[in-house]
Amino acid sequence: MLKSLLKPVLLISAAAALTAPAALSANDLIKSGETVAVAKSTLSITPPRDWNKLSARPGKKAETWTLDGEQLNDISFYSDIAPGEPLLRERSKKRDPLPKLRSNSLLTDVPEFLEGTYRAHFGIAVFSLGASKPTKFLNEPAIQFTYEYVTPDELTRRGEAIAVLRSGKLFMITYDAPKLHFFERNIEDYRAVVASAKIA
Amino acid sequence: MRPMVRLLAAVAAMATLGAANPEREFDLPTYTGAYQPQNVDERGMWMVDDESERLTRDSRLVIRDEALNNYVHSVLCRAVGNDRCGGVRIYILRVPVFNANMSPNGTMRVYSGLLLRMRNEAELASILGHEFAHFEMRHSLDEFRRKRSTSDLLAWTAVLGTLAATYGGGSTQSYGDFRISVYGALFRFSRDQEREADILGFSYMAEAKYRPSAASEVWRSAMNEADATSTGRALRGQRYDKTAFFATHPTNLERADYLSALANRVPGGEYEGRNAYQAALAPWLDQFLEDQIKLNDFAGTEYLITRLGAEEWTAPLLLARAELYRLRANPRDLPNAVEFYRQALTLNPDLPTAYRGMGLSLMRMDRKSEATPSLSRYLELKPDALDADMIRSLVAPQ
Repeated sequence: MLKSLLKPVLLISAAAALTAPAALSANDLIKSGETVAVAKSTLSITPPRDWNKLSARPGKKAETWTLDGEQLNDISFYSDIAPGEPLLRERSKKRDPLPKLRSNSLLTDVPEFLEGTYRAHFGIAVFSLGASKPTKFLNEPAIQFTYEYVTPDELTRRGEAIAVLRSGKLFMITYDAPKLHFFERNIEDYRAVVASAKIA
Repeated sequence: MRPMVRLLAAVAAMATLGAANPEREFDLPTYTGAYQPQNVDERGMWMVDDESERLTRDSRLVIRDEALNNYVHSVLCRAVGNDRCGGVRIYILRVPVFNANMSPNGTMRVYSGLLLRMRNEAELASILGHEFAHFEMRHSLDEFRRKRSTSDLLAWTAVLGTLAATYGGGSTQSYGDFRISVYGALFRFSRDQEREADILGFSYMAEAKYRPSAASEVWRSAMNEADATSTGRALRGQRYDKTAFFATHPTNLERADYLSALANRVPGGEYEGRNAYQAALAPWLDQFLEDQIKLNDFAGTEYLITRLGAEEWTAPLLLARAELYRLRANPRDLPNAVEFYRQALTLNPDLPTAYRGMGLSLMRMDRKSEATPSLSRYLELKPDALDADMIRSLVAPQ
Protein backbone atom coordinates (compact mmCIF):
# COMPACT_ATOMS: atom_id res chain seq x y z
CA MET A 1 0.00 0.00 0.00
CA LEU A 2 2.67 2.43 1.06
CA LYS A 3 4.79 1.40 -1.86
CA SER A 4 2.10 2.14 -4.39
CA LEU A 5 1.49 5.55 -2.84
CA LEU A 6 5.15 6.37 -2.74
CA LYS A 7 5.81 5.54 -6.35
CA PRO A 8 4.05 8.49 -7.95
CA VAL A 9 5.59 10.85 -5.40
CA LEU A 10 9.04 9.62 -6.29
CA LEU A 11 8.29 9.94 -9.95
CA ILE A 12 7.06 13.49 -9.56
CA SER A 13 10.06 14.56 -7.53
CA ALA A 14 12.36 12.91 -10.04
CA ALA A 15 10.64 14.79 -12.85
CA ALA A 16 10.87 18.04 -10.91
CA ALA A 17 14.57 17.49 -10.35
CA LEU A 18 15.06 16.99 -14.06
CA THR A 19 13.11 20.03 -15.17
CA ALA A 20 14.23 22.43 -12.45
CA PRO A 21 17.62 23.45 -13.90
CA ALA A 22 16.02 24.18 -17.27
CA ALA A 23 13.42 26.37 -15.60
CA LEU A 24 16.06 28.27 -13.64
CA SER A 25 18.23 28.93 -16.66
CA ALA A 26 15.34 30.24 -18.73
CA ASN A 27 15.69 33.34 -20.81
CA ASP A 28 18.50 35.79 -20.05
CA LEU A 29 18.61 39.53 -20.15
CA ILE A 30 21.25 40.94 -22.46
CA LYS A 31 22.07 44.39 -21.09
CA SER A 32 22.72 47.31 -23.38
CA GLY A 33 26.35 48.34 -23.76
CA GLU A 34 27.73 45.02 -22.52
CA THR A 35 29.73 42.93 -24.94
CA VAL A 36 28.60 39.31 -25.16
CA ALA A 37 29.83 36.35 -27.16
CA VAL A 38 26.99 34.79 -29.14
CA ALA A 39 26.18 31.32 -30.43
CA LYS A 40 29.06 29.72 -28.51
CA SER A 41 31.63 31.38 -30.70
CA THR A 42 34.12 34.22 -30.95
CA LEU A 43 31.45 36.40 -32.56
CA SER A 44 30.64 39.19 -30.11
CA ILE A 45 27.90 41.78 -29.96
CA THR A 46 27.56 45.01 -28.00
CA PRO A 47 23.86 45.82 -28.22
CA PRO A 48 22.80 49.45 -27.83
CA ARG A 49 19.60 48.41 -26.04
CA ASP A 50 18.40 45.56 -23.85
CA TRP A 51 17.48 42.25 -25.47
CA ASN A 52 16.16 38.92 -24.22
CA LYS A 53 18.14 35.83 -25.05
CA LEU A 54 15.99 32.74 -25.49
CA SER A 55 17.27 29.65 -23.72
CA ALA A 56 16.02 27.42 -26.52
CA ARG A 57 18.64 27.39 -29.25
CA PRO A 58 17.39 26.80 -32.80
CA GLY A 59 20.59 24.96 -33.62
CA LYS A 60 23.82 23.75 -32.12
CA LYS A 61 25.69 26.84 -33.25
CA ALA A 62 22.82 29.27 -33.09
CA GLU A 63 21.17 31.63 -30.65
CA THR A 64 18.04 33.74 -30.73
CA TRP A 65 17.30 37.11 -29.16
CA THR A 66 13.97 38.87 -29.03
CA LEU A 67 12.51 42.13 -27.74
CA ASP A 68 8.83 41.34 -27.25
CA GLY A 69 8.70 37.58 -27.45
CA GLU A 70 9.54 34.66 -29.64
CA GLN A 71 8.57 35.13 -33.28
CA LEU A 72 7.63 38.78 -32.81
CA ASN A 73 11.04 40.30 -33.42
CA ASP A 74 13.74 37.66 -33.47
CA ILE A 75 17.40 38.10 -34.15
CA SER A 76 19.17 34.81 -34.75
CA PHE A 77 22.92 34.40 -34.77
CA TYR A 78 24.55 31.52 -36.60
CA SER A 79 28.25 31.14 -36.28
CA ASP A 80 30.93 28.83 -37.50
CA ILE A 81 28.56 26.64 -39.53
CA ALA A 82 30.94 24.25 -41.26
CA PRO A 83 30.49 22.44 -44.59
CA GLY A 84 28.24 19.43 -44.13
CA GLU A 85 26.29 21.05 -41.31
CA PRO A 86 22.68 22.25 -41.40
CA LEU A 87 21.67 25.71 -40.22
CA LEU A 88 19.14 24.53 -37.64
CA ARG A 89 18.85 21.44 -35.49
CA GLU A 90 17.32 18.69 -37.61
CA ARG A 91 14.07 17.29 -36.29
CA SER A 92 15.00 13.93 -37.74
CA LYS A 93 18.26 13.44 -39.58
CA LYS A 94 16.67 10.71 -41.66
CA ARG A 95 13.04 11.61 -42.14
CA ASP A 96 13.29 15.40 -42.31
CA PRO A 97 16.85 16.18 -43.37
CA LEU A 98 17.76 19.84 -43.82
CA PRO A 99 19.99 21.30 -46.54
CA LYS A 100 23.69 21.27 -45.67
CA LEU A 101 26.31 23.88 -46.25
CA ARG A 102 28.85 22.77 -48.89
CA SER A 103 32.55 23.40 -49.03
CA ASN A 104 32.05 24.97 -52.46
CA SER A 105 29.11 27.15 -51.36
CA LEU A 106 29.31 30.74 -52.54
CA LEU A 107 27.85 33.81 -50.90
CA THR A 108 25.19 33.75 -53.62
CA ASP A 109 24.09 30.31 -52.39
CA VAL A 110 23.38 31.51 -48.86
CA PRO A 111 19.88 32.92 -49.54
CA GLU A 112 18.82 29.62 -51.15
CA PHE A 113 20.38 27.72 -48.24
CA LEU A 114 18.28 29.73 -45.81
CA GLU A 115 15.17 29.37 -47.97
CA GLY A 116 15.54 25.60 -48.24
CA THR A 117 16.09 25.34 -44.50
CA TYR A 118 13.05 27.45 -43.63
CA ARG A 119 10.79 25.67 -46.10
CA ALA A 120 11.73 22.23 -44.88
CA HIS A 121 11.96 23.00 -41.18
CA PHE A 122 8.96 25.26 -40.66
CA GLY A 123 6.68 23.71 -43.30
CA ILE A 124 6.48 26.86 -45.37
CA ALA A 125 4.81 26.72 -48.75
CA VAL A 126 5.04 30.38 -49.72
CA PHE A 127 8.53 31.83 -49.52
CA SER A 128 10.12 34.43 -51.75
CA LEU A 129 13.61 35.85 -51.74
CA GLY A 130 13.92 39.59 -52.08
CA ALA A 131 16.83 41.74 -53.12
CA SER A 132 20.38 40.74 -52.31
CA LYS A 133 23.45 42.92 -52.52
CA PRO A 134 27.14 42.76 -51.72
CA THR A 135 28.26 44.42 -48.51
CA LYS A 136 30.93 44.17 -45.80
CA PHE A 137 30.50 42.21 -42.59
CA LEU A 138 33.19 41.34 -40.05
CA ASN A 139 35.59 43.16 -42.40
CA GLU A 140 34.99 40.78 -45.25
CA PRO A 141 32.92 40.72 -48.44
CA ALA A 142 29.44 39.64 -47.41
CA ILE A 143 25.89 39.33 -48.68
CA GLN A 144 22.86 41.17 -47.39
CA PHE A 145 19.44 39.92 -48.44
CA THR A 146 15.75 40.07 -47.63
CA TYR A 147 12.94 37.55 -47.80
CA GLU A 148 9.27 37.13 -47.09
CA TYR A 149 7.21 34.07 -46.19
CA VAL A 150 3.90 32.85 -44.85
CA THR A 151 4.08 30.67 -41.75
CA PRO A 152 1.53 27.91 -41.05
CA ASP A 153 -0.23 30.34 -38.68
CA GLU A 154 -1.05 32.32 -41.84
CA LEU A 155 1.04 35.34 -40.87
CA THR A 156 3.24 36.98 -43.46
CA ARG A 157 6.71 37.47 -42.04
CA ARG A 158 9.66 39.36 -43.39
CA GLY A 159 13.29 38.79 -42.87
CA GLU A 160 16.60 40.47 -43.43
CA ALA A 161 19.94 38.76 -43.14
CA ILE A 162 23.63 39.39 -43.44
CA ALA A 163 26.10 36.60 -44.01
CA VAL A 164 29.76 36.00 -44.57
CA LEU A 165 31.83 32.91 -45.39
CA ARG A 166 35.12 32.87 -43.50
CA SER A 167 37.32 30.06 -44.81
CA GLY A 168 34.22 28.18 -45.89
CA LYS A 169 32.39 28.62 -42.58
CA LEU A 170 29.15 30.53 -42.42
CA PHE A 171 28.49 33.42 -40.03
CA MET A 172 25.05 34.93 -40.33
CA ILE A 173 22.68 37.21 -38.43
CA THR A 174 19.00 37.18 -39.36
CA TYR A 175 16.03 39.28 -38.34
CA ASP A 176 12.56 37.76 -38.63
CA ALA A 177 9.34 39.56 -37.74
CA PRO A 178 5.71 39.75 -38.82
CA LYS A 179 5.36 42.09 -41.77
CA LEU A 180 2.55 43.82 -39.95
CA HIS A 181 3.93 46.38 -37.47
CA PHE A 182 6.90 44.51 -35.99
CA PHE A 183 9.27 44.28 -38.93
CA GLU A 184 9.47 48.02 -39.53
CA ARG A 185 9.38 48.85 -35.85
CA ASN A 186 12.57 47.01 -34.92
CA ILE A 187 14.57 46.71 -38.12
CA GLU A 188 16.89 49.50 -36.99
CA ASP A 189 17.49 47.73 -33.68
CA TYR A 190 18.61 44.71 -35.68
CA ARG A 191 20.88 46.80 -37.89
CA ALA A 192 22.45 48.33 -34.78
CA VAL A 193 23.18 44.86 -33.45
CA VAL A 194 24.78 43.90 -36.78
CA ALA A 195 26.87 47.07 -36.75
CA SER A 196 28.24 46.17 -33.33
CA ALA A 197 29.34 42.67 -34.38
CA LYS A 198 33.00 41.83 -33.98
CA ILE A 199 34.95 38.64 -34.33
CA ALA A 200 38.09 37.64 -32.53
CA MET B 1 -32.29 8.73 -48.42
CA ARG B 2 -29.46 7.18 -46.47
CA PRO B 3 -30.77 3.58 -46.58
CA MET B 4 -30.90 4.05 -50.33
CA VAL B 5 -27.24 5.00 -50.41
CA ARG B 6 -26.39 2.08 -48.17
CA LEU B 7 -28.29 -0.24 -50.41
CA LEU B 8 -26.49 1.03 -53.46
CA ALA B 9 -23.17 0.76 -51.68
CA ALA B 10 -23.96 -2.78 -50.72
CA VAL B 11 -24.94 -3.57 -54.27
CA ALA B 12 -21.71 -2.03 -55.49
CA ALA B 13 -19.70 -4.03 -52.95
CA MET B 14 -21.41 -7.22 -54.05
CA ALA B 15 -20.65 -6.37 -57.61
CA THR B 16 -16.92 -6.35 -56.87
CA LEU B 17 -17.03 -9.64 -55.12
CA GLY B 18 -19.11 -11.66 -57.48
CA ALA B 19 -19.78 -9.37 -60.41
CA ALA B 20 -23.39 -10.52 -60.11
CA ASN B 21 -24.62 -8.26 -62.85
CA PRO B 22 -21.66 -7.19 -64.97
CA GLU B 23 -23.55 -4.83 -67.30
CA ARG B 24 -24.91 -2.75 -64.41
CA GLU B 25 -21.73 -2.83 -62.35
CA PHE B 26 -20.67 0.72 -63.14
CA ASP B 27 -24.09 2.37 -63.44
CA LEU B 28 -24.27 5.63 -61.53
CA PRO B 29 -26.70 5.86 -58.62
CA THR B 30 -29.26 8.69 -58.70
CA TYR B 31 -28.09 11.85 -56.99
CA THR B 32 -29.95 14.38 -54.86
CA GLY B 33 -28.34 17.78 -54.62
CA ALA B 34 -28.58 20.45 -51.89
CA TYR B 35 -28.39 17.87 -49.15
CA GLN B 36 -28.77 19.16 -45.59
CA PRO B 37 -27.43 17.49 -42.45
CA GLN B 38 -30.02 15.20 -40.92
CA ASN B 39 -29.20 14.55 -37.29
CA VAL B 40 -27.10 15.69 -34.37
CA ASP B 41 -23.90 13.95 -35.45
CA GLU B 42 -24.11 15.23 -38.95
CA ARG B 43 -25.06 18.77 -37.92
CA GLY B 44 -22.10 18.84 -35.54
CA MET B 45 -19.75 17.71 -38.24
CA TRP B 46 -21.07 20.27 -40.66
CA MET B 47 -20.67 23.05 -38.12
CA VAL B 48 -16.99 22.21 -37.67
CA ASP B 49 -16.65 21.80 -41.39
CA ASP B 50 -18.26 25.16 -42.19
CA GLU B 51 -15.83 26.88 -39.85
CA SER B 52 -12.94 25.01 -41.41
CA GLU B 53 -14.12 26.06 -44.87
CA ARG B 54 -14.32 29.69 -43.79
CA LEU B 55 -10.68 29.54 -42.65
CA THR B 56 -9.66 27.83 -45.85
CA ARG B 57 -11.45 30.41 -47.96
CA ASP B 58 -9.52 33.25 -46.29
CA SER B 59 -6.21 31.41 -46.32
CA ARG B 60 -3.23 33.01 -47.99
CA LEU B 61 -2.33 29.63 -49.39
CA VAL B 62 -5.36 29.57 -51.67
CA ILE B 63 -4.50 30.08 -55.34
CA ARG B 64 -7.07 32.52 -56.64
CA ASP B 65 -6.20 32.30 -60.32
CA GLU B 66 -9.60 32.20 -61.98
CA ALA B 67 -8.50 30.28 -65.06
CA LEU B 68 -6.89 27.47 -63.08
CA ASN B 69 -9.85 27.25 -60.71
CA ASN B 70 -12.32 27.13 -63.58
CA TYR B 71 -10.32 24.42 -65.25
CA VAL B 72 -10.12 22.18 -62.18
CA HIS B 73 -13.82 22.71 -61.60
CA SER B 74 -14.57 21.81 -65.21
CA VAL B 75 -12.60 18.58 -64.84
CA LEU B 76 -14.65 17.68 -61.77
CA CYS B 77 -17.85 18.50 -63.67
CA ARG B 78 -16.80 16.43 -66.63
CA ALA B 79 -15.85 13.55 -64.33
CA VAL B 80 -18.89 13.41 -62.05
CA GLY B 81 -21.46 15.17 -64.22
CA ASN B 82 -22.94 18.65 -64.12
CA ASP B 83 -25.79 17.73 -61.81
CA ARG B 84 -23.31 16.59 -59.15
CA CYS B 85 -20.53 19.16 -59.39
CA GLY B 86 -22.65 22.31 -59.14
CA GLY B 87 -22.57 22.81 -55.38
CA VAL B 88 -18.90 21.89 -54.87
CA ARG B 89 -16.47 24.62 -53.81
CA ILE B 90 -12.92 23.84 -54.85
CA TYR B 91 -9.98 25.48 -53.10
CA ILE B 92 -6.58 25.02 -54.68
CA LEU B 93 -3.98 25.33 -51.93
CA ARG B 94 -0.36 26.14 -52.61
CA VAL B 95 1.09 23.30 -50.59
CA PRO B 96 3.69 21.08 -52.27
CA VAL B 97 2.19 17.86 -51.01
CA PHE B 98 0.33 15.15 -52.93
CA ASN B 99 -3.14 15.47 -51.48
CA ALA B 100 -6.78 16.24 -52.14
CA ASN B 101 -9.88 15.74 -50.07
CA MET B 102 -13.52 16.52 -49.92
CA SER B 103 -15.36 17.24 -46.70
CA PRO B 104 -19.01 16.56 -45.80
CA ASN B 105 -20.35 20.05 -46.56
CA GLY B 106 -19.08 19.91 -50.13
CA THR B 107 -15.69 21.61 -49.79
CA MET B 108 -12.99 20.15 -51.98
CA ARG B 109 -9.35 20.96 -51.28
CA VAL B 110 -6.83 20.28 -54.00
CA TYR B 111 -3.16 20.76 -53.18
CA SER B 112 -0.75 22.20 -55.70
CA GLY B 113 1.48 19.16 -55.15
CA LEU B 114 -1.29 17.00 -56.59
CA LEU B 115 -1.67 19.16 -59.70
CA LEU B 116 2.08 18.98 -60.27
CA ARG B 117 2.04 15.19 -60.24
CA MET B 118 -0.80 14.64 -62.68
CA ARG B 119 0.22 14.10 -66.29
CA ASN B 120 -3.19 14.54 -67.85
CA GLU B 121 -6.82 15.28 -67.22
CA ALA B 122 -7.76 11.63 -66.85
CA GLU B 123 -5.37 11.22 -63.90
CA LEU B 124 -6.74 14.33 -62.23
CA ALA B 125 -10.31 13.22 -62.92
CA SER B 126 -9.61 9.87 -61.27
CA ILE B 127 -8.51 11.54 -58.02
CA LEU B 128 -11.27 14.15 -57.99
CA GLY B 129 -13.82 11.46 -58.80
CA HIS B 130 -12.55 9.23 -56.03
CA GLU B 131 -12.78 12.02 -53.47
CA PHE B 132 -16.22 12.96 -54.71
CA ALA B 133 -17.30 9.36 -54.32
CA HIS B 134 -16.38 9.43 -50.61
CA PHE B 135 -18.47 12.59 -50.36
CA GLU B 136 -21.44 11.20 -52.24
CA MET B 137 -21.51 8.13 -50.04
CA ARG B 138 -21.04 10.24 -46.91
CA HIS B 139 -18.20 8.04 -45.75
CA SER B 140 -16.75 10.50 -43.30
CA LEU B 141 -20.04 10.53 -41.38
CA ASP B 142 -20.13 6.74 -41.17
CA GLU B 143 -16.52 6.73 -40.04
CA PHE B 144 -17.16 9.48 -37.50
CA ARG B 145 -20.13 7.54 -36.10
CA ARG B 146 -18.19 4.33 -35.94
CA LYS B 147 -15.40 6.01 -34.04
CA ARG B 148 -17.82 7.83 -31.80
CA SER B 149 -19.64 4.68 -30.83
CA THR B 150 -16.41 2.93 -29.97
CA SER B 151 -14.82 5.85 -28.20
CA ASP B 152 -16.18 9.36 -27.86
CA LEU B 153 -12.83 10.56 -26.65
CA LEU B 154 -11.12 9.36 -29.78
CA ALA B 155 -13.64 11.09 -32.00
CA TRP B 156 -13.31 14.38 -30.22
CA THR B 157 -9.56 14.14 -30.21
CA ALA B 158 -9.84 13.83 -33.95
CA VAL B 159 -12.13 16.85 -34.22
CA LEU B 160 -10.01 18.99 -31.94
CA GLY B 161 -6.85 17.86 -33.68
CA THR B 162 -8.28 19.01 -36.98
CA LEU B 163 -9.27 22.34 -35.52
CA ALA B 164 -5.87 22.89 -33.97
CA ALA B 165 -4.24 22.19 -37.29
CA THR B 166 -6.61 24.52 -39.08
CA TYR B 167 -5.97 27.34 -36.68
CA GLY B 168 -2.26 26.86 -37.18
CA GLY B 169 -0.26 24.99 -34.61
CA GLY B 170 2.75 27.25 -34.26
CA SER B 171 5.58 27.81 -36.62
CA THR B 172 7.52 24.67 -35.85
CA GLN B 173 5.12 22.57 -37.87
CA SER B 174 6.84 20.59 -40.57
CA TYR B 175 5.41 19.01 -43.65
CA GLY B 176 5.65 15.78 -41.74
CA ASP B 177 3.03 17.01 -39.30
CA PHE B 178 1.15 18.71 -42.08
CA ARG B 179 0.67 15.47 -43.91
CA ILE B 180 -0.96 13.82 -40.98
CA SER B 181 -2.85 16.63 -39.36
CA VAL B 182 -4.24 19.05 -41.88
CA TYR B 183 -7.88 18.23 -42.43
CA GLY B 184 -6.81 14.64 -42.16
CA ALA B 185 -8.36 13.43 -38.97
CA LEU B 186 -11.93 13.44 -40.17
CA PHE B 187 -11.19 11.88 -43.50
CA ARG B 188 -9.64 8.56 -42.72
CA PHE B 189 -11.44 5.80 -44.49
CA SER B 190 -11.75 2.09 -44.01
CA ARG B 191 -10.74 -0.40 -46.63
CA ASP B 192 -14.36 -1.17 -47.52
CA GLN B 193 -15.11 2.49 -47.96
CA GLU B 194 -12.08 2.85 -50.21
CA ARG B 195 -13.33 0.00 -52.33
CA GLU B 196 -16.77 1.57 -52.61
CA ALA B 197 -15.24 4.91 -53.56
CA ASP B 198 -13.01 3.20 -56.12
CA ILE B 199 -16.00 1.54 -57.77
CA LEU B 200 -18.09 4.70 -57.82
CA GLY B 201 -15.01 6.62 -59.00
CA PHE B 202 -14.68 4.22 -61.92
CA SER B 203 -18.35 4.66 -62.71
CA TYR B 204 -17.77 8.40 -63.09
CA MET B 205 -14.73 7.75 -65.29
CA ALA B 206 -16.75 5.38 -67.47
CA GLU B 207 -19.62 7.81 -67.80
CA ALA B 208 -17.23 10.63 -68.71
CA LYS B 209 -15.30 8.49 -71.21
CA TYR B 210 -11.94 9.01 -69.50
CA ARG B 211 -9.29 6.35 -69.89
CA PRO B 212 -9.89 4.26 -66.75
CA SER B 213 -6.37 2.87 -66.33
CA ALA B 214 -5.22 6.40 -65.42
CA ALA B 215 -6.43 5.71 -61.87
CA SER B 216 -4.13 2.78 -61.20
CA GLU B 217 -1.21 4.63 -62.79
CA VAL B 218 -1.63 7.48 -60.32
CA TRP B 219 -1.61 5.11 -57.34
CA ARG B 220 1.39 3.25 -58.60
CA SER B 221 3.43 6.36 -59.25
CA ALA B 222 2.57 7.79 -55.84
CA MET B 223 3.84 4.60 -54.23
CA ASN B 224 6.97 4.61 -56.37
CA GLU B 225 7.66 8.16 -55.33
CA ALA B 226 7.27 7.30 -51.65
CA ASP B 227 9.67 4.40 -52.24
CA ALA B 228 12.17 6.70 -53.92
CA THR B 229 12.03 9.16 -51.03
CA SER B 230 12.62 6.36 -48.52
CA THR B 231 15.47 4.88 -50.50
CA GLY B 232 17.02 8.29 -51.01
CA ARG B 233 16.99 8.88 -47.27
CA ALA B 234 18.25 5.39 -46.59
CA LEU B 235 15.15 4.51 -44.62
CA ARG B 236 14.22 0.91 -44.11
CA GLY B 237 10.69 -0.23 -44.82
CA GLN B 238 8.19 1.53 -47.01
CA ARG B 239 5.65 3.60 -45.15
CA TYR B 240 3.18 4.84 -47.69
CA ASP B 241 1.22 6.67 -45.02
CA LYS B 242 4.02 9.24 -44.97
CA THR B 243 2.56 10.48 -48.22
CA ALA B 244 -0.31 12.82 -47.42
CA PHE B 245 -2.83 11.13 -49.62
CA PHE B 246 -2.10 7.71 -48.15
CA ALA B 247 -2.32 8.98 -44.60
CA THR B 248 -6.06 9.18 -45.08
CA HIS B 249 -6.39 6.46 -47.68
CA PRO B 250 -5.13 3.07 -46.59
CA THR B 251 -3.41 1.49 -49.51
CA ASN B 252 -1.06 -1.22 -50.57
CA LEU B 253 0.08 -2.90 -53.71
CA GLU B 254 -2.97 -5.13 -53.69
CA ARG B 255 -5.07 -2.05 -54.20
CA ALA B 256 -3.12 -0.87 -57.22
CA ASP B 257 -3.64 -4.36 -58.59
CA TYR B 258 -7.37 -4.46 -58.10
CA LEU B 259 -7.59 -0.97 -59.55
CA SER B 260 -5.92 -2.30 -62.69
CA ALA B 261 -8.35 -5.20 -62.73
CA LEU B 262 -11.31 -2.84 -62.34
CA ALA B 263 -9.92 -0.59 -65.05
CA ASN B 264 -9.93 -3.52 -67.45
CA ARG B 265 -13.60 -4.23 -66.73
CA VAL B 266 -14.87 -0.66 -66.92
CA PRO B 267 -16.42 0.21 -70.25
CA GLY B 268 -14.60 3.56 -70.27
CA GLY B 269 -13.37 5.69 -73.12
CA GLU B 270 -9.92 6.69 -74.24
CA TYR B 271 -9.97 10.39 -73.42
CA GLU B 272 -6.78 11.53 -71.69
CA GLY B 273 -6.80 15.28 -72.19
CA ARG B 274 -3.04 15.66 -71.97
CA ASN B 275 -2.81 18.86 -73.98
CA ALA B 276 -5.73 20.52 -72.23
CA TYR B 277 -4.22 19.67 -68.85
CA GLN B 278 -0.76 20.93 -69.66
CA ALA B 279 -2.10 24.14 -71.16
CA ALA B 280 -4.11 24.82 -68.00
CA LEU B 281 -1.17 24.10 -65.72
CA ALA B 282 1.45 25.92 -67.81
CA PRO B 283 1.23 29.32 -66.06
CA TRP B 284 1.83 27.63 -62.69
CA LEU B 285 4.21 24.84 -63.62
CA ASP B 286 7.44 26.73 -62.83
CA GLN B 287 6.11 27.81 -59.45
CA PHE B 288 4.90 24.34 -58.48
CA LEU B 289 8.19 22.78 -59.60
CA GLU B 290 10.14 25.33 -57.57
CA ASP B 291 8.07 24.61 -54.46
CA GLN B 292 8.74 20.90 -54.90
CA ILE B 293 12.49 21.24 -55.54
CA LYS B 294 13.00 23.23 -52.37
CA LEU B 295 11.49 20.52 -50.16
CA ASN B 296 14.94 18.98 -49.89
CA ASP B 297 13.68 15.58 -51.02
CA PHE B 298 16.11 14.82 -53.81
CA ALA B 299 15.18 11.24 -54.65
CA GLY B 300 11.40 11.72 -54.53
CA THR B 301 11.62 14.86 -56.62
CA GLU B 302 13.95 13.23 -59.13
CA TYR B 303 11.43 10.39 -59.53
CA LEU B 304 8.59 12.85 -59.98
CA ILE B 305 10.39 14.98 -62.57
CA THR B 306 11.59 11.94 -64.49
CA ARG B 307 8.06 10.57 -64.58
CA LEU B 308 6.73 13.83 -65.97
CA GLY B 309 9.64 13.97 -68.41
CA ALA B 310 9.14 10.41 -69.61
CA GLU B 311 6.50 11.63 -72.05
CA GLU B 312 8.43 14.68 -73.17
CA TRP B 313 11.35 16.60 -71.71
CA THR B 314 10.23 20.20 -71.84
CA ALA B 315 12.36 23.22 -70.97
CA PRO B 316 10.62 23.85 -67.60
CA LEU B 317 11.18 20.22 -66.57
CA LEU B 318 14.84 20.25 -67.56
CA LEU B 319 15.33 23.54 -65.78
CA ALA B 320 13.70 22.16 -62.64
CA ARG B 321 15.89 19.06 -62.77
CA ALA B 322 18.99 21.21 -63.17
CA GLU B 323 18.00 23.34 -60.17
CA LEU B 324 17.38 20.21 -58.12
CA TYR B 325 20.91 18.97 -58.83
CA ARG B 326 22.47 22.38 -58.27
CA LEU B 327 20.74 22.79 -54.92
CA ARG B 328 21.94 19.42 -53.64
CA ALA B 329 25.38 20.33 -54.96
CA ASN B 330 27.29 17.17 -54.29
CA PRO B 331 30.44 17.41 -56.43
CA ARG B 332 28.94 14.85 -58.82
CA ASP B 333 25.68 16.79 -59.06
CA LEU B 334 27.14 19.97 -60.51
CA PRO B 335 28.25 18.59 -63.93
CA ASN B 336 24.80 17.01 -64.27
CA ALA B 337 23.16 20.31 -63.40
CA VAL B 338 25.22 22.10 -66.05
CA GLU B 339 24.20 19.52 -68.64
CA PHE B 340 20.48 19.87 -67.81
CA TYR B 341 20.73 23.67 -67.99
CA ARG B 342 22.35 23.30 -71.40
CA GLN B 343 19.53 21.03 -72.61
CA ALA B 344 16.90 23.41 -71.28
CA LEU B 345 18.57 26.32 -73.07
CA THR B 346 18.67 24.35 -76.32
CA LEU B 347 14.91 24.05 -76.16
CA ASN B 348 14.36 27.62 -74.99
CA PRO B 349 17.30 30.05 -75.21
CA ASP B 350 15.30 32.71 -73.37
CA LEU B 351 15.59 31.35 -69.83
CA PRO B 352 17.49 33.78 -67.56
CA THR B 353 17.28 31.38 -64.59
CA ALA B 354 19.03 28.69 -66.59
CA TYR B 355 21.98 31.00 -67.40
CA ARG B 356 22.15 31.99 -63.74
CA GLY B 357 22.10 28.40 -62.51
CA MET B 358 24.62 27.23 -65.10
CA GLY B 359 26.97 30.07 -64.22
CA LEU B 360 26.71 29.46 -60.49
CA SER B 361 27.25 25.72 -60.92
CA LEU B 362 30.37 26.32 -63.04
CA MET B 363 31.58 28.84 -60.50
CA ARG B 364 31.24 26.24 -57.75
CA MET B 365 33.25 23.83 -59.90
CA ASP B 366 36.03 26.45 -60.05
CA ARG B 367 35.47 27.01 -63.77
CA LYS B 368 35.19 30.77 -63.54
CA SER B 369 36.12 31.56 -67.14
CA GLU B 370 33.24 29.42 -68.38
CA ALA B 371 30.91 30.72 -65.68
CA THR B 372 31.38 34.38 -66.50
CA PRO B 373 29.73 34.43 -69.97
CA SER B 374 26.77 32.55 -68.59
CA LEU B 375 26.27 34.94 -65.67
CA SER B 376 26.78 37.93 -67.97
CA ARG B 377 24.05 36.60 -70.23
CA TYR B 378 21.77 36.33 -67.19
CA LEU B 379 22.44 39.97 -66.35
CA GLU B 380 21.79 41.00 -69.96
CA LEU B 381 18.46 39.22 -70.01
CA LYS B 382 17.46 40.37 -66.54
CA PRO B 383 19.35 43.53 -65.64
CA ASP B 384 16.89 44.34 -62.83
CA ALA B 385 17.05 40.91 -61.21
CA LEU B 386 16.79 41.04 -57.43
CA ASP B 387 20.22 39.46 -57.09
CA ALA B 388 21.80 41.40 -59.99
CA ASP B 389 24.25 43.29 -57.75
CA MET B 390 25.40 40.08 -56.12
CA ILE B 391 25.88 38.29 -59.45
CA ARG B 392 27.71 41.33 -60.82
CA SER B 393 30.15 41.07 -57.94
CA LEU B 394 30.91 37.49 -58.97
CA VAL B 395 31.50 38.42 -62.59
CA ALA B 396 33.67 41.45 -61.84
CA PRO B 397 37.40 40.78 -61.64
CA GLN B 398 38.43 40.60 -58.00
